[in-house]
Formats: sequence, structure tokens, C-alpha cells
Amino acid sequence: MTPTQTLLHGSLQAYIFLALLLFVIGLATVLIRRSLLMQFMGIELMLNAANLALLAFARYRGGDVQGTVFYLFIIAVAACEAAVGLALVVALFRHKQTTDSDRADALKQ
Amino acid sequence: MFLIFALISLLGALMMFRMRNLIMAGLSLVLCFTGVAGLFLLLANPVAAALQIIVYAGAILVLVLFVIMLLASHEEEPSEKPRGIQRWASALTVALLGASAFGLVMRSPLLASVPDSKVDPMTLQRLGVLLFKEHLLAFEITGLLLLAAMIAAVSLVKREL
Repeated sequence: MTPTQTLLHGSLQAYIFLALLLFVIGLATVLIRRSLLMQFMGIELMLNAANLALLAFARYRGGDVQGTVFYLFIIAVAACEAAVGLALVVALFRHKQTTDSDRADALKQ
Repeated sequence: MFLIFALISLLGALMMFRMRNLIMAGLSLVLCFTGVAGLFLLLANPVAAALQIIVYAGAILVLVLFVIMLLASHEEEPSEKPRGIQRWASALTVALLGASAFGLVMRSPLLASVPDSKVDPMTLQRLGVLLFKEHLLAFEITGLLLLAAMIAAVSLVKREL
């Protein structure tokens, strides 16, 4: 197969490339969107891109089981992060009636 | 197959980035995570695919959608200051970072030369044996971490303990 064909049918390079694209979209969401909830979703997307790269590497190392164990721990930590992060957003909303990250600037004044 | 799932996840991610409505953005992210779960299946890892759907698409995204509806912030609030420079600077940073990483991935001879060997699909048995033989301590600590996160979330949101 030619290099283009292996890319289109999924080689390690193609998986890493896709993970990279997802990561960049997540990063753009965090940097450009203003709503804290959108930024939160961008973080989840970046985490997911990292997971995709991890599991792709684990598979091309001959189906390494350690990769899946790591994935398990990563999603456990992601669940904790989601709970605490959303609690922070709710607490901010109680305090300032906003979920806009530009308006949460009390530390700057 | 790879192309289909890759396009599904990319489409979901792009829709999430572009959507004005936050609920629609969350639902697009569900689409994206489902596509990624399909990719995990193609990587001979059905365990990870099931976990992805249950934990990410099932639990975390439902929690996010729940908070969006609870706070009734379906739309992004209009900005008080334009902050044009910051916006362009962040777009430029993302583009530069993406382009340079793209160059690294595409021109890496090592990545391109990894052989595509046949692998056994991941099973829960193989995962469980390794998890409880070698990572028992980490597993227990994860349980503690989840408990700590739960207590932290409740105490952050509750007005008076």
C-alpha cells in the first residue's frame, strides 16, 4: 500500500494525527470560547485526544495491557475532575450570576 | 472503517467548537466521544470502547448537560469588552502549535515505520488480572480519590454544611 492508503485505513501515524487534530480543536475551544462550561468541554476533548494517542501506541506495541490499565486510571481522574470542576462553576454562578470566564476577574481588581 | 469513525469524531468536535447553543455543543461532544469509542474498537480494545461510552458519553457529559440546564446558561453571554487582540493571539497560537505538531507527526520516520502486527483483542480478564496483580495500591488510591472528589464537590456547592 502507498503511504496515503495506509493513512486512510488507519496506521499509527493516522491515529496520532487524529488525536492531534482533536487536541487542537479542544485547545481552541478553551482559548477562544468564553463560557466556562464550553471551556470545560474543551478540556474533556483534549483529555480524550490524549487517551486516543495512548491506546493507539498501546495497540501498536503488540496489544499492551498496561495501556488499558492507564486508561482506566485516567478516566477515574477525569470523573473526579468533572465533579470538582462543575461544582466550581456552580459555586461561581451562585456568587456572581455568571458562567463567563471574562467576568470572573475578582482576583485582578 | 477508520475513516468513518475519524470523520464522526472530527465532525462532533468541530460542531462542539462552532455551536452557539451550549446544549447542542454538549450533544455534539457526545457524538465525538462515540466516534472515539468506535476508534477504540478498531484498536482491538472493546473494553476501552465500553468504558468510553459508559463513563464519558454516559456519565461526564450527562453531568455537564445537567449543569448547563441547571444554570440556564444555554447561550454564551455577550462579552463586556471585545478583547480582539487576545482572541487573535490565541487563534494564532493554536494554529502555530497545530502546524508544528502536524509537521512533526507527518515527517517522523519512526512513526511511519511501526509494523502493523496482529494483536489479540483486549479482554476484561487480561485487564483485571494485571490491574489486581500489579496496580492494586493505585486502584485503592483511586477509590479514595473518588471519595475525596465527591466530598469536595458537595462541600463546594452546599451553602451551609
